[in-house]
Amino acid sequence: MSKVKSKKWAQARTGYLFLLLPLLIFGVFTIFPMVFAFMISLYDWNLLIPDKPFVGLSNYIELFQDEVFLIAIKNTIIYALGVVPVQTILSLFLAFIMNQKLPGRAFFRTAFYIPAVTASVVTSTIFIWIYSKPGLLNYLLSQIGVEGTDWLTNPSTALLSIMALNVWSTSGYFMITFLAGLQNIPKSVYEAAKIDGASTWTQFWKITVPMVRPVTYFVVVLGLIGCFQVFDQVFIMSQGGPVNSTTTMSFFVYLNSFKYFRLGYGAAGAVVLAGIIYIVTVIQKKYLPPDPY
Amino acid sequence: MLYHICNMVKRLSCLIGIGILFLAGCGKKNDNMRISSWVSSPEETKMFNATLDSFRVAEPEVVFDFEPIPGNYAEKLQLMLGTNTSPDLFFIKGYLAPSYMSFKILEPLDEYIQNESAVDLADFYPNLLQSFQRDGNQYGLPKDFAPYVLFYNKTMFEEAGIDSLPSNWQELRQYAAMLTKDLDGDGATDQYGLVIEPSTEMLMPFVFQNGGNFQNPDGSLGITDEPFIEALEFYHGLYKDGLATIPTDVGQGWNGDTFGRGMAAMCLSGGWLIPFLEGNYDELDWGVAELPAGKQKATIAFTTAFSMPKNSNYKADAWKMMNYLTGKEGMRIWTSQGLALPSRKSVAIKNGFYDDPVWGVFMNSAEFARTFQVEYSERGFEEMVVAMQAIFFTGKEPRQAMEDIKLRIEKYSLK
Repeated sequence: MSKVKSKKWAQARTGYLFLLLPLLIFGVFTIFPMVFAFMISLYDWNLLIPDKPFVGLSNYIELFQDEVFLIAIKNTIIYALGVVPVQTILSLFLAFIMNQKLPGRAFFRTAFYIPAVTASVVTSTIFIWIYSKPGLLNYLLSQIGVEGTDWLTNPSTALLSIMALNVWSTSGYFMITFLAGLQNIPKSVYEAAKIDGASTWTQFWKITVPMVRPVTYFVVVLGLIGCFQVFDQVFIMSQGGPVNSTTTMSFFVYLNSFKYFRLGYGAAGAVVLAGIIYIVTVIQKKYLPPDPY
Repeated sequence: MLYHICNMVKRLSCLIGIGILFLAGCGKKNDNMRISSWVSSPEETKMFNATLDSFRVAEPEVVFDFEPIPGNYAEKLQLMLGTNTSPDLFFIKGYLAPSYMSFKILEPLDEYIQNESAVDLADFYPNLLQSFQRDGNQYGLPKDFAPYVLFYNKTMFEEAGIDSLPSNWQELRQYAAMLTKDLDGDGATDQYGLVIEPSTEMLMPFVFQNGGNFQNPDGSLGITDEPFIEALEFYHGLYKDGLATIPTDVGQGWNGDTFGRGMAAMCLSGGWLIPFLEGNYDELDWGVAELPAGKQKATIAFTTAFSMPKNSNYKADAWKMMNYLTGKEGMRIWTSQGLALPSRKSVAIKNGFYDDPVWGVFMNSAEFARTFQVEYSERGFEEMVVAMQAIFFTGKEPRQAMEDIKLRIEKYSLK
């Protein structure tokens, strides 16, 4: 008995030994910063002033009275609600097509995936040109007789423009995820459906969609988290402007922490953001579970 | 079994050891005094290195490392200062100085200056020196400055039959109207009189000329005072009435490109536009002039100083270096190419800038140039940025826009 126990213990110890380094790195670079961020959100924390008074929840109270923060929450939610459904449906659709035996399939797979592996700084810069007043988008619109606007300095189109860029750049990545899911569906299911006379559309709707549901769950969770954290496109393309129309929560956190010398206030914003992401994920898990059966 | 575990432990600890060694290698030993700058152009880096070389010759016993910060300078510096890893001597922009001075993180220089007769503070342009003063202390010595002047396209002026330069607001508007043209007859303007940016910095010369202020000398906010509103309405009016454009409207990144490509006949800019025009649009025939005056002559000047942190271990060396770089010899070398203009009058004279047809305009502007500083945190200033966007991009009335943000900015006073 004791021999079995000691063997078990030895195995566990070996396991933990293997885990030691990853756990150490995880602790130092993930757990500690999270706990520390929460801690400083309770302080008036200016890096440059040695005196960092404890202020309790007053950063949080100020946040919810801060018009810009409320706009940032609104913008972030619009962003997530707009981008996630479109990119999920689009990438599933693309994956379904790319899973057919079509000529030039490899080329299109690559073409769709390239935006996902291109640095966001690069894609953002390209889209600044596309969206500019004399840019490509307005040129194309003028060909069909529509007069475009300056997409990034017009407060009613700036956020939408960045959302469209994000859909374009992430759909390819999620397409690959869906493709992997699609290839796990046994061919025999489709064959049986074909024998029963199901059309391609019916096959897609009745077989593909339900069978890739775990993948869909994964894509939606990752998509939501990514959208709530959107920063780089905003930083490069609009700096939150015009008139705060593209100020997102993470951009707000950045501004306060690194531009306005208010690390504590910024950290409080980050904690609220983390809270929102957590709540949304819990809701999603409850109402849209990965495997309903 | 035990042997295996022992072996594994050995290997693991070896791995961890390597990891720790690697991490330790990331930490840098600070044996020498360190100086940092931002990096803006290869020409500027070259000049700065040449100036540092001359310092090595002048003060061979001061050993230092030059560690330029290639990007996000302000953010990086803030983190370095906050973690006691900052350089011992660094650049600081005039508009950020009030924040840094209010945080009491910079070393006051008054004692050093008193003990060094060669500093000769009276030689500096007083406005520039004042940008780095607070509560009677001097926290930085300006290394150079750049005022806004008027750049104009000589060819376009000739084509429009204009043979003088605008000397006041009426003429500026009148000339801009004469220079605004629809060249191909399609009903859309192809050449604008002027290119402006929806930025506070470019608005401020007009505010100063009109006797207004962002913040009045008594500390009150001046953005809803009549002179400020009038200047804002005049400035925005040029755009609203189609006599001026903004870079984004014509698909350009900034006013220099818009001017260089011949989309506008005039623009407001500092000296940094000159190497840009020479490098990219060398066929362009341009000239510079003092800004047209309003009720009084005025322009805005941007200045940068050297400062040292309070907690530096190399204050004596850092002071020696600062004193050299902002002194008559160091500044002469640093500004000799005209990339930056000297903050000392004697150096400007020695470099012959007053007699130069181009630099002379900049130097004469120094007499009435004012730096732009406010006693509000960056957040308060951001409200003004947003208000300018609302005016230019949504057509909000200037007066209404200023009244709407007044209380909000006042909340972010530094005092």
